[in-house]
Amino acid sequence: MINITGQNELFKLIGAKLEQKAECLAIGGSAMMFYGAKTETKDVDLVFIDKKPFDAVKKALFEIGFDEKKNIKVIFAHYEIAKNKPIIMEGMETRFDLFLNEVISFKITPAILDRIKEVHEFGNLIIKIISPEDIILLKCATERKKDRNDAASLIGKFDIDWEIIIKESIRQTEIGQDIFPVYLFDFLYELKEDFKIDVPKDVIKKVRKIGEKMMEDRLSSGEIIKVTKFKTK
Amino acid sequence: MGLNETAKALEGLQTADTIAKKLWISKRTAVNIIWKLRKKGLVETGYGKRKIRIYKISRIKKPDLGYKGLYEVINKNSRLKIFAKEAHRIHDHKLTIEEAIVRAVETGDFRTILAALGLFNKVKNWSSLLWYAKKAGATRKVGALYDAAKNSMKVRKMDERTRKALKKGKTKERYIIKNIKSKDFKDIENEWNVHIPFNKADLEVYKE
Repeated sequence: MINITGQNELFKLIGAKLEQKAECLAIGGSAMMFYGAKTETKDVDLVFIDKKPFDAVKKALFEIGFDEKKNIKVIFAHYEIAKNKPIIMEGMETRFDLFLNEVISFKITPAILDRIKEVHEFGNLIIKIISPEDIILLKCATERKKDRNDAASLIGKFDIDWEIIIKESIRQTEIGQDIFPVYLFDFLYELKEDFKIDVPKDVIKKVRKIGEKMMEDRLSSGEIIKVTKFKTK
Repeated sequence: MGLNETAKALEGLQTADTIAKKLWISKRTAVNIIWKLRKKGLVETGYGKRKIRIYKISRIKKPDLGYKGLYEVINKNSRLKIFAKEAHRIHDHKLTIEEAIVRAVETGDFRTILAALGLFNKVKNWSSLLWYAKKAGATRKVGALYDAAKNSMKVRKMDERTRKALKKGKTKERYIIKNIKSKDFKDIENEWNVHIPFNKADLEVYKE
């Protein structure tokens, strides 16, 4: 586990090692720590839009004593078939997950970049923090209990704009294979029923309708529907 | 009502009066609530005209990370304020006025550059400004903007050595903001061989 101070010290070290500016997005627990919604995280997740900074940060991490974990199958089984495979760097009792353009099946869209709330500069390393809405949507594609806890914490602490989440889930479905509104419905329903989180009823109803419609459309067009979530460690 | 619920109910901008009205309490009690929320780090205080206190109340105590970014430095030191879409923080060093001027030029954003002109009055270290301008390859742009600012507002006097050194810089790109030229600062444009993106009317805001 790493806290915000430890994480930022590592970012400073990476930033000092980089020869050129490298931009990336902080997602998940790392982003939540910047918002003050979490005190520590198991891994630092960074998403890169370009390959060059992705490679540069990987190299910088190697130079400060991190090693690449080769067997990522156990952690991200889904990536066996993915084009852009993530890189996992381990060291100093911390893990960095570096993604290129997409996380699991979630793609970084211009709308996500437009919603960025904070930019943190650590020398040549520039970290942009995705919005709480996008963090929640990213978490809905997994089945980990800690992701539900994180989403519950975000919903409790921020005024979540549900329309943003719904729209982005539709957009993700349009550009990918997964029907995100189905995941989202499951996720929100679970949050409301099991975690007693205040998710508006009309939001759940709307997401359910959209999900059903999308599934019907795909079925009628003869497409294969993928509704299995990703079980990650 | 607990403090967290109170913060949730009051989230956003408030004055003591609006808090009193919203919670059906006296102004004195509202001030006490603000005091309690501030103790928990959930209140930031700003001032409106006639010294009216405006409280920004949030539900979550945000960690105070790094040093002020470009927009905060500009807003603190320039008469012209800008609204930043995203918060910007710098973690590895403190942003100086000199670096902020050069960074503002690099953004290529009209409003940011216009607001950064106000920083010329706060420059303390001209050689530092020169160093950052050289690093960014923007020596002539910075020199030209200084002259434009000098025309419309009070600025610190630039020493001749810096001025000469700024002029020695090469011009890779003549436009400070792509395809925007000035109608009023032709003489400065000719002297520095770059295009000023403002007219005199744009700088009137500094005289208000």
